[in-house]
Amino acid sequence: MIVDVAMNTESLQLLAEALRKAMTAASGRELDEALARLGWLDMLSEMPDTAIPLVFKLLGETNAHAPLLNDVVLRAAGRSGGGTVPLPFAGGSWVVWERTDRASSALDTDLPIHRVPDGDPLPLAAGRRALGWWLVGTSRAMLSLARQHAVDRVQFGRPIASFQAIRHRLAETLVAIEGAEATLHAAADEPDDLGALLAKAAAGQAALTAARHCQQVLGGIGFTAEHELHRHVKRLLILDGLLGSARELTREAGAMLRAKGSAPRLANL
Amino acid sequence: MNVAQFRADLRTWLEEHDLTPGPDHSLDAQVAQLARVHRALYDAGWMRYGWPVDVGGLGGPAILRAIVGEEVVGRNLAEPGPYSMVEVLAPTMIDYAPAELAAEMVPRLLSGREQWCQGFSEPGSGSDLASLTTRATPSGDDWIANGQKVWTSFAQYSARCVLLTRTSPGHNGISAFFVDMDSPGITVRPLRTMHGVDEFCEVYFDDVVIPAGRMLGKPGDGWRLAMDLLPYERSTCFWQRIAYLYTRFDRLLAQASAPDDSELGAAYLDLHTLRCRSRTTLHRLAEGERLGAETSIDKVLLATAEQRLYDTIRDQLPGVVELDDTPWRPEYLYSRAATIYGGTAEIQRNIIARRLLDLPRE
Repeated sequence: MIVDVAMNTESLQLLAEALRKAMTAASGRELDEALARLGWLDMLSEMPDTAIPLVFKLLGETNAHAPLLNDVVLRAAGRSGGGTVPLPFAGGSWVVWERTDRASSALDTDLPIHRVPDGDPLPLAAGRRALGWWLVGTSRAMLSLARQHAVDRVQFGRPIASFQAIRHRLAETLVAIEGAEATLHAAADEPDDLGALLAKAAAGQAALTAARHCQQVLGGIGFTAEHELHRHVKRLLILDGLLGSARELTREAGAMLRAKGSAPRLANL
Repeated sequence: MNVAQFRADLRTWLEEHDLTPGPDHSLDAQVAQLARVHRALYDAGWMRYGWPVDVGGLGGPAILRAIVGEEVVGRNLAEPGPYSMVEVLAPTMIDYAPAELAAEMVPRLLSGREQWCQGFSEPGSGSDLASLTTRATPSGDDWIANGQKVWTSFAQYSARCVLLTRTSPGHNGISAFFVDMDSPGITVRPLRTMHGVDEFCEVYFDDVVIPAGRMLGKPGDGWRLAMDLLPYERSTCFWQRIAYLYTRFDRLLAQASAPDDSELGAAYLDLHTLRCRSRTTLHRLAEGERLGAETSIDKVLLATAEQRLYDTIRDQLPGVVELDDTPWRPEYLYSRAATIYGGTAEIQRNIIARRLLDLPRE
C-alpha cells in the first residue's frame, strides 16, 4: 500500500478501517506481518503524527498486540524499523519485545516480552507518546465493557447503571481518559520531552483509574477468565511499566521542577 | 489575527506599563486594582479584542481574551475570580440584552467603570437552581421582584445585577433581568465565609421595580441564559484560573525547602492535564463549535487539580497554613470550595454520566 503524505479524511477513514480489520483478525506475529503489508513502516516515516495515534489507540481498543513499539523507538533513534531493541522498564529493568509468538512469562502471557540484562539509552519521547495512545485505547475499551455491563445488569429490580455510585465511577473514568488524551494531543502539537513524559504518565494513571473503576463496576463477572476485562488489565500493567511507569515519570517530573524552580507552561494556545 | 504576535505585543506593553498592585490586600483594594487594570487595558485596546464592535470591542476571536486573561492573571495583576466575571457577564448581555442596552452597558463593564454581579443561587436553590423562587410579577410596564439571592459575588461593589427570577412554574418559567443595584428595595449583606474574605453576599429584593426593557431575552429565557454562560465560564475563565494556579505552583517551588518529588510531580501532572484539556476546549470554541456537557470534564479536572495543588502546598510548606498569617491561608481555605461552586463535583459527574456516557436515568 502506498501512503500519501497528505491523506484526506476519507482515505484516513479507509486506513483506520483496514487497520481495525487487521487487528480484529490477528494478533502478535501474524498482525505484525499484516501491518507490514499495509505499509506500517512507511506510515511511520512519512506521517508519524497521524500513524502513531491511529495505530496504537486501535491496538488498545481492539485488544490486539504487535511489537510496533520497537519501530517507533528505533526510528526516533535514527535507526531503521523492523527489528527489536532493548527497552527500559520500570525499576531500572530492561526488556525485549520479540517479533515472534513465543510464549513468555510476562503477566500478559500473549506478549513476547522478557527481561534482558541491559540496554543502551535511547530517545523515548516518541515511544512514550505511542504507549500513551495504546493506554488510552485500552482504557476506552474497559470503559465500554463496564458501561455496557452497568446498563444490562439488573439487581434490586433495576439496571445497576441507575445507581449513583456506579454512575460516578464511570464518570470518573471518562474524566481521566479525556484528560490523558488532551495531554497526548498537546504533546503532539508541541514536541517536547517533558510533554511526552507527562502524557505517558497521564495515560498510565488514567488506565490504572479505569481498571480500578471498571473492575469494580463489572463485579464478579469481570474477575472471571471468560470475561475480556482481565486481558486489558494485564496488558495495561505492562504498558504502564514500559519506558517508565506513571509513578516513576511523575516523580521524575517533580525532580525536574524542583531543579528548575518553576513550573513549565507547556500546551500554549 | 496572529495569536503569537498578539501575545508578544501584549507582553511588551505590559512590561512598559506597570500595573503591579499596591501593598493593600483588602477586598476594597482588590476591587479598586481590578478597575485600574481594566481601565488601562481598555484604553490601550487590549480589553476590547475578542469582543464585538457593537459593544465597544475591536472584534477578533475569543481566544485573544483568553490570552489577555492569562497574561494579566498570570502576572498577578488582578485576582482571577473578579477578573473573570467579565467573561460570563458580557456574553450574556451580548446574546440576550436588547442591542441598545448592550451597546450602552457592556463598555462600562469592559472598561472597569462598573462592576456587575450575578443573582442566581438562592438559600433553597443551590444545585437545584431551577427550583428558584425569587418572583417577578408584571405591573403595567414594569416587573416587581421579591425574594432573596445568596452567594452573589461582589454584590456590594456592583452597579448592576443579572438576576434570575421566577415568572411562571418550571424550567421555562425562569426569566432574567438586568437590574440597577441602586434600585429602591435592594439590600446587600456580605456573608462571612471560612476563608475570611467577604466576597459573597446575600441580596434581598423587596418590591424592586424593574422596567420591562431590562428583561434579558423573552419571558422564560432565563434557564437557557444560565446554561449558555457555562461554555464561557468553562473556557476563557478557566484558562485564566489555570494561569493563576501555575503562579501559585511557582511560589510553592520558590518557598519549599525540601519538597517531595512525587508529590510535586503529581500536583503538576494534574495541573498540566487540566491545562491541556482547557486548551483543547478553547480551540474548539475558536473553531465555532458549540460547547456543552463535555465542559463538565473541564470542571471536574479544575476542581481536582486546584484542591490537589493546595493540599500539596500545605504538605510541602508545613505549618504555613496553620501558623502563619500569609495569603496561603485564605487561598488554601478557598480551594475547599472548588468542588462546590459553579456546580458541585457530584452534579458534574451526574451530567457526565447522563449526557456523555448516555446512561439511563437514575
